[in-house]
Amino acid sequence: MRISTATFQNDAVSQMDALEAALQQTQTELSTGSQIQNAADNPIGAAQVNQMNVEVSATTQYVTNSNLANTNLGLEEQALSNATSIMQNAISLATEANNSALSPANRADIATQLQQDLQSLTSIGNSTDSAGNYLFGGYSNTSPPFTQSGGTVSYNGSDQVIQVQISSNQSISGGDTGATAFMNIPTGNGTFTVSAGSTNTGAASIGGGTVTNPTTYAAAEAAGAGAYTISFSDPTDYQVTDSNGNVVTSGTYTDGGSISFNGAQVTLNGTPAAGDSFTVAPAGTSSAFSALSNLITTLNSTNLNNGQLTTQINAAVQQIQNSITNFSNVSASVGARINAITAAQSTATSVTTTLKTNISTLQSTDYTQATTQLSSEELALQAAQESYASLEKLSLFNYIQG
Amino acid sequence: MGDILSTSVSGLLAFQQALSVTSNNISNSSTPGYSVENIELAEQPGVGTGGGFFGNGVDVQSITRSYDEMLASQVRSSQSSYSSFSTLSTQAAQIDNMLSSSSTGLTATLQSFVNSLQSLSTQPASTAQRQVVISQAQALTTELQSYQSQLETQGSDLESQIGTTVGEVNTIATNIASLNGQIAAASGSGQTPNQLMDQRDALVDQLSQYVSVNAITQSNGEMDIYIGSGQPLVTDGSTQTLTATPDPNDASESDIGIAAGNGSVTNITSEINGGTLGGMLTTRSQVLDPTVNALGQIAVGLATVMNQQQAAGMDMTGAQGKPMFAVGGPQVLPSIANTGTSTVDATITNLSGLTTDNYKLTYSGTAWELQDTTSGQSVPMTGTGTSTDPFVAAGMSIVVNGTPDTNDNYVIKPTAGAVDGMSVLLTSPSQIAAASLGTASAATANTGSGTISTPTITDPTTWTSGTYTISFTDATDYQVTDSGGNVVASGAYTSGSSISFNSEQVSISGTPASGDTFTVGANTNANSGDNTNVLAMAADLNSKVLDGGTASLNDAANNLVSGMGVLTQQAQANATAQQSVNQTATNTRSNLSGVSLDDEAAKMLQYQQAYQACAQMIQASQTIFNSLISAITSG
Repeated sequence: MRISTATFQNDAVSQMDALEAALQQTQTELSTGSQIQNAADNPIGAAQVNQMNVEVSATTQYVTNSNLANTNLGLEEQALSNATSIMQNAISLATEANNSALSPANRADIATQLQQDLQSLTSIGNSTDSAGNYLFGGYSNTSPPFTQSGGTVSYNGSDQVIQVQISSNQSISGGDTGATAFMNIPTGNGTFTVSAGSTNTGAASIGGGTVTNPTTYAAAEAAGAGAYTISFSDPTDYQVTDSNGNVVTSGTYTDGGSISFNGAQVTLNGTPAAGDSFTVAPAGTSSAFSALSNLITTLNSTNLNNGQLTTQINAAVQQIQNSITNFSNVSASVGARINAITAAQSTATSVTTTLKTNISTLQSTDYTQATTQLSSEELALQAAQESYASLEKLSLFNYIQG
Repeated sequence: MGDILSTSVSGLLAFQQALSVTSNNISNSSTPGYSVENIELAEQPGVGTGGGFFGNGVDVQSITRSYDEMLASQVRSSQSSYSSFSTLSTQAAQIDNMLSSSSTGLTATLQSFVNSLQSLSTQPASTAQRQVVISQAQALTTELQSYQSQLETQGSDLESQIGTTVGEVNTIATNIASLNGQIAAASGSGQTPNQLMDQRDALVDQLSQYVSVNAITQSNGEMDIYIGSGQPLVTDGSTQTLTATPDPNDASESDIGIAAGNGSVTNITSEINGGTLGGMLTTRSQVLDPTVNALGQIAVGLATVMNQQQAAGMDMTGAQGKPMFAVGGPQVLPSIANTGTSTVDATITNLSGLTTDNYKLTYSGTAWELQDTTSGQSVPMTGTGTSTDPFVAAGMSIVVNGTPDTNDNYVIKPTAGAVDGMSVLLTSPSQIAAASLGTASAATANTGSGTISTPTITDPTTWTSGTYTISFTDATDYQVTDSGGNVVASGAYTSGSSISFNSEQVSISGTPASGDTFTVGANTNANSGDNTNVLAMAADLNSKVLDGGTASLNDAANNLVSGMGVLTQQAQANATAQQSVNQTATNTRSNLSGVSLDDEAAKMLQYQQAYQACAQMIQASQTIFNSLISAITSG
């Protein structure tokens, strides 16, 4: 087969060109540390690297989000803990006041201390975060959510709370509304409240009572029983009627004994007078503030007898207890959310690490492999150059003399 | 003696000419396009005598060149393919390079924008965070526009290169035609004009770099050149002119045409393939146009989604959110050849139905027909084209007014102009609508434990700001009444499921008691910490709003980058493969037609020796003659 001079040269030159180009590519990979300069170098790899970078960025953002939420939830937990302390102080003041030996002036003093507690509780309700936003205002966090007028504290915040996205598929509430924490607290024992009649003259007081059979009680309420009245025709005989006047049960009472009807049981202490009555009404909701302000009103009143006083103080204490329970429940939910944030952040860290490792695998130059490749390409180029140089000299003309 | 002399002289002359041919070969050993010349020697006719036929020496018949038409055409066709892919890969590599940066590329910038919305969601009233969102929106706009401008520059460079190339083709064609004439005239002498033919072959080789050609040699020695799908460029000594004229619909793009002698121009843009011209046309239709459209689709997606969500929210001034982005609308380009009085308007009405293709709306004489010019498929349209019942296709609504003539046509590019017309419309951080337009509250007298969510407005265009009351007729049934007491919705209650009315949705969770009520109305708290709308914005940007619900904005951006990578990689691979094919074909041709110096050296020795031998023979015949003369004169 005939080879022209041009063929030999062109082939050699183009082979050297190709080797040089490959060498240059390897050198670029080594000096930039990246195998993927452009998407064309590895389109699928480049797409994957892009996606993973986006995921890393998004995950980092969620961690930032959750850090902010974490801070505020921590502040909320602290506030609820402070509120609980105040309420516990109020209970000890109430217990102190529940002494028939105290004079009205003494009780008024205690009432003044309780007024301080009410102010403190209101301030806690109006706590702010580091940016000056009110923690318990819900969406309305630029003005204080709780305002006091007369003895009543009312809630002016919103009923919704900011949602914070802590991961791609998880959002948590960034706080709680003042309504949830301080306002919508169940009264009584959660099912019913007890009170003494305002015209009672006897010395009997009524305790909080228990629900012995929730189903029976609920069924009777669904049938329209409403509030029950326990009336004493004399100090030992009573009759229980529902709101429609139907007699539910009747019986004799001994001091400290209990009265049961329709799944409810209440205990009375002391001796009632004829005509005294006590009410067992379905529970509603009331605020932590009104628990205190009701107690203050009770302690400041001058026309209550011991029985009524005891009943009302007991009811107030129960309400304060309910508030503490509510704070504890909300606090537990906050704690659970903080745990969720911790878990999400921990997942985010390990996900980010995995992603970065994968990105590096796809994108970063394998130095060992690249250096080896460089040496072998260098060798090949050298060989091509040397062989061309020596073969190029061969020509018949060299041997023609004269 | 006379015979000896004449035969030797014929040999001398012949070998002298052979040496001349050899020396020509050696001198032209590096000349591109040179075909090795061979001297054809033939025996002179013999003279018959009684003792036998005596030869009369040697005659130079002709000088032929080593040339094979088939090898030459293989070189040309592989050259055309290689040039075409090489052009495509160089052009595509430019765009691939532009799009490829992972840290500052489109996907990263989009994600930064989403991140800024997420940050805002944790502090919706923060002016600083709102400003960051606006800045990120501007950064996104700037990046898209910078890509667009690079693409436009590349496009206009390409158009001017097309013009230049067409000029080159015409110049070469003219030169080929003139050589045709010279060759035909010279061939009349009976010998082939090797040098002229080499020159012409070199020109055709050069031409094949610019465009695929088909070269047919006629019996009279003239060569006809055909391009495209058989359009004649050079025939019968005349040249047709290749033209690059502005496309009738889009003056910024050139159409390739062939001008006949009478001046009429036939559009052969779609027939041109191969060579740099073919590569440039492919670049335009398969790389530049789709990339511009894809960037536009992302811009339209971004603007549509963000503007819709802005409208569902309330900004910090208490007003309904205004649009955040402006983008350019669909480009409608009428043909300059249109003779009717119709006008066409197109608007994008279905984001998910948008494509990255271009379209042509043509009036057939009886009806308007839509064709996808990128795929060539016809696209069915619904509707009649009036403003109340527009044509609906490809994510657009198209309204036609006026009276068209047959064959009037309009090119429609849905997303090509989007990025050029893109801007951030919000100027103040307070204009970001982070809060919902609606608000909901539970009545303070409620005894149950039901809580109500923030309303989300599902259709801001039909939502009204009236007050609605959701009342629980019993613990498991609710009724929604408007401010006039009319019942607008009712149903059975399940915790957490949504209640819809007045183009909005709320959900109630927990255990409401019979008689509990909830109020839903317009949000009036402009300084609200409500972040539901900005959370929705972030969610929208991650949801699959494009391509029939299969791609999010991020997916589209990523597909653009990796798609360009695949295209570039393939073009590079094809170019490398074709280069190798071209190399082999060139070598094969060169092995036949190229000069081998060793060959020529051997021939030189051969002819030199033969020449010397002939010279010796002449001297011998002189000696014989002298002997004869001296024999005669001495007697």
